[in-house]
Amino acid sequence: MKIGVMILEGPYQHQAVDSAYHFVRAALARGHEIVGIFLYTDAVNNANKFINPPGERNIAKQLDELGAQGIEIVACTACSKFRGMRPDLKVEHTRLSGLGSLADYLKAADRFVTFGD
Amino acid sequence: MGNQVAILLRKAPYGSVYTAEGFRTIMGIAVFEMDICVVCVDDGVYALVKGQNPAKLDIKPLGDGFPALAEFGVQSFYVHDEALARRGLTADDLVVPVQVASSSQIARILEESGKVLPF
Repeated sequence: MKIGVMILEGPYQHQAVDSAYHFVRAALARGHEIVGIFLYTDAVNNANKFINPPGERNIAKQLDELGAQGIEIVACTACSKFRGMRPDLKVEHTRLSGLGSLADYLKAADRFVTFGD
Repeated sequence: MGNQVAILLRKAPYGSVYTAEGFRTIMGIAVFEMDICVVCVDDGVYALVKGQNPAKLDIKPLGDGFPALAEFGVQSFYVHDEALARRGLTADDLVVPVQVASSSQIARILEESGKVLPF
């Protein structure tokens, strides 16, 4: 099955991105395809390469690992501008794009799952 | 399941960015010729209330934008009847023509929509 994912919350404050990460890994393990992960609103902050939690899971690195596996991870351009999230602050395997990417994922996916508050 | 995308507005228009981003998502994906409906439940019904004036919050009123969505082909608005009634509102208080829907009707709309984006 082709699955699209959207995340609406930032790192550590909410469980949303953690749930999304585990959901994506579980879906991949079962042979599903992830058509893309759209980081919307505060979720753009999950891609900050300077995230450095002492002794805890590194959410940005977790996302980067998913991106390195070939999963497209897009952070909303406008949301990034609102939050000062410059392209050079992002982990390597993510990129900025607009709501057109969200539309693409919605069209390509059999199921679409949102993780938010 | 259909190809319709339901934008589910659950929260008050001010106090968090959810409703504003729900609106922005409608605008953003409607230009890609997607079949979109808007479903308002709980405090999400306030998004459509006439006469919003958040000037003291230094943000723009959100309700004013919804009538313009017709130009993008977005004309299906469903509003939960109980959510309206509990807030002392009727369809006449809203900025766009809506279909007032029962809990089971809302459930069916969400079920029949291929994708639901909750805000």
